[in-house]
Amino acid sequence: MNETELKGMIESILGELVKAKGLDSVEPAKRTKEVNKLGDSVGSNIISNEFLPDISEVDLKKQLLVDNPHDREGYLKMKSYTAARLGVGRCGTRYKTQSVLRFRADHAAAQDAVFSDVNPELVEEMGFIPVRTVCKNKDEYITRPDHGRIFDEANTEIIKQNVKKGAKLQVVVGDGLSSAAIEANIRDVIPALKQGLKKYNLDFDKVLFVKYCRVPAMDPIGEISDADVVCLFVGERPGLVTAESMSAYIAYRPTVGMPESRRTVVSNIHKGGTPAVEAGAYIADIIKNMLEKKKSGIELK
Amino acid sequence: MDKETLLTVGIDLGTSTTQLILSELTVENFASAFTVPRIEISDKKVIYRSDIIFTPLINQVEIDENKIKEFVALQYDKAGIVKDDIKMGAVIITGETARKSNSSKVLQALSGYAGDFVVATAGPDLESIIAGKGAGTETLSREHRGNIVNFDIGGGTSNLAMFRAGDVVDTACFDIGGRLIKIDSDSHTITYIAPKILEIIEKKHLSLAVGNHVVPEDLMPIIDELVNALEQSIGLGEETPFYNLLITHHDLKIKTDVNAVTFSGGVADCIKADNVTDWFQYGDIGLLLGNRIKNSLFFTKCHVLDTVETIRATVVGAGSHTAEVSGSTISYTDEILPIKNVPVLKLAKEDEQLKASELAAQIRSKLDWYLTDDNQLTNVALSFQGIKSPSFADIQRYAMGITEGVAKLREAGFPLLIIVTEDMAKALGNSIYSMLPEKSPFVCIDSIVAENGDYIDIGTPVAGGNVLPVIIKTLVFN
Repeated sequence: MNETELKGMIESILGELVKAKGLDSVEPAKRTKEVNKLGDSVGSNIISNEFLPDISEVDLKKQLLVDNPHDREGYLKMKSYTAARLGVGRCGTRYKTQSVLRFRADHAAAQDAVFSDVNPELVEEMGFIPVRTVCKNKDEYITRPDHGRIFDEANTEIIKQNVKKGAKLQVVVGDGLSSAAIEANIRDVIPALKQGLKKYNLDFDKVLFVKYCRVPAMDPIGEISDADVVCLFVGERPGLVTAESMSAYIAYRPTVGMPESRRTVVSNIHKGGTPAVEAGAYIADIIKNMLEKKKSGIELK
Repeated sequence: MDKETLLTVGIDLGTSTTQLILSELTVENFASAFTVPRIEISDKKVIYRSDIIFTPLINQVEIDENKIKEFVALQYDKAGIVKDDIKMGAVIITGETARKSNSSKVLQALSGYAGDFVVATAGPDLESIIAGKGAGTETLSREHRGNIVNFDIGGGTSNLAMFRAGDVVDTACFDIGGRLIKIDSDSHTITYIAPKILEIIEKKHLSLAVGNHVVPEDLMPIIDELVNALEQSIGLGEETPFYNLLITHHDLKIKTDVNAVTFSGGVADCIKADNVTDWFQYGDIGLLLGNRIKNSLFFTKCHVLDTVETIRATVVGAGSHTAEVSGSTISYTDEILPIKNVPVLKLAKEDEQLKASELAAQIRSKLDWYLTDDNQLTNVALSFQGIKSPSFADIQRYAMGITEGVAKLREAGFPLLIIVTEDMAKALGNSIYSMLPEKSPFVCIDSIVAENGDYIDIGTPVAGGNVLPVIIKTLVFN
């Protein structure tokens, strides 16, 4: 339908409406003007360079949607301590539009973090050795947690070829449930860890990158590499607060099928939680302690 | 890590009284086992309160150091503790006592005598803050809306501290106190009048002088002016011509918008005194001042809240509220701890954004401010804001700028001391360490705010070495 046809159609509909409401007296000129206005907004293609404000840029801790609050400052002070969505100005299920849009935006970011891949350029830039578990795609990865922890022969061979056998420490990076977490933190955490280890004359060799990685994927790597300590950085299941949270799972001589309690965890590594550089520095201390005590997880405490 | 307790001491040498308290701070890890530790002071409990004695003086201008030492020894004995049990603490010298000729010497001597890591503090601003915290006004301000001002009215000075939602907003100090005029409690003759009061007497053409026999009514014109000045300090009532005269060093920057006030100090007890038969029973004007405050605009035009401490506010503040703990991810070499009385050099925000080499140049030039009179270097603690969640490149830049900038201090054999506000000290400390010659002593801590003019003390590690206790103070004498 071209513009003229559209205009004509709207005109006739409006005409009938006016007649039906007995508003014949409206001057024809005015009527046409209104029709034109309507036609413009529907048919023409005005390109604007303006952007809609990005709602996910708003710091929720500083946003109070309650109308006429009794104590705005007090409420904001309270909100500054939590990432919870307080002060949305409504109770029950009918949120304000802003809240609904933000909720959906955050949810979308969380889903993207799960379903997207870590940029291969990042893997290359960091000099990681890329390997993958037996999962063939994200769907299999999501639905079969048991597949996210085993390697086929070809990948086992790549791991074997690239790790220094019997090293003190093997570092592994896995996409896990958030590729965004790896992209946001890995550049800062790896050098901070390296620098922290230097204090104790410790170091690590090539870093493995595991695609479709579940936490226990570190166990076969431990067995293949015969490393004393395996440290896995993995993307955490994203929530609505952040999609960029990463954890480190660290174990002393991990073996396939070992109890989960043997893993030491440092979670919440993201810019609103523990800064990546501080986490790297802190993990260096944990690893040194682990090597000294020859144990990990709850036994280490 | 489970809970750990630290014994701390607070000693207050005030214009009229000297007292001591012992308190127990509980340090606890609040983080779950699955994240980095977050160690904080979870509880502060006063476990011993000393007798309150009149501050012993040798004469009008000198403090009797030996009598004070005897007092401290006696109280430790009564409390059943020895000096070595004390982890940290503060001696504060306040009001007119801070202006005695040997105050600095006594303070230093006493801080060593009271415990290895008991620090000396003074200065009207710090005194105001300590008293406000000890009185409990800081806590009240978290529970009540708006600004709350604590008036700690002692013998020689009134220290004001304004709190808002748990933060110190402003401080002020006035030369208004209960012992600015002393009166013999038997003969009711005046034995002492403070210099500023003499000025008011002269301007108002009153016939008050040392040796005069007085009744309360004779003193009311003076008391009225003092209370008017206190009212005016928060924007209540008429202006008094003596307001500026009575300011010790500065008044509050914001005088309006005060939602509530609290009173502490010896005169706060006088406000509550009922059925007074002898107004001069304490040999001063404390009771008259207290009574006049009870009938002032504070109680009609403003909200007065109750405090948890009155006469002991300052000493409780010194004992329980001066110590803080550093962030839980820090980096240090422990053979150099504890460190006492190091001046703080705070970098400007603009300096922090500079390239490493320019940052180093800025640090070098600012270090010259701290040369001693004979051009000797003194150690300086470098303080700055830092970046929230910095990148590794930022950390390297800071580390390079700092190591290069303080090379002179390091070569002179001083340990490197770094204080950051944002959480980044562990990574930064590691970077600095990697750039220093092997085994160089250093301390790099975060979550601490220190400004130019402050002094810092850093204690021996607590909580399994995860955190360092820190006292930020000022030693400035007026």
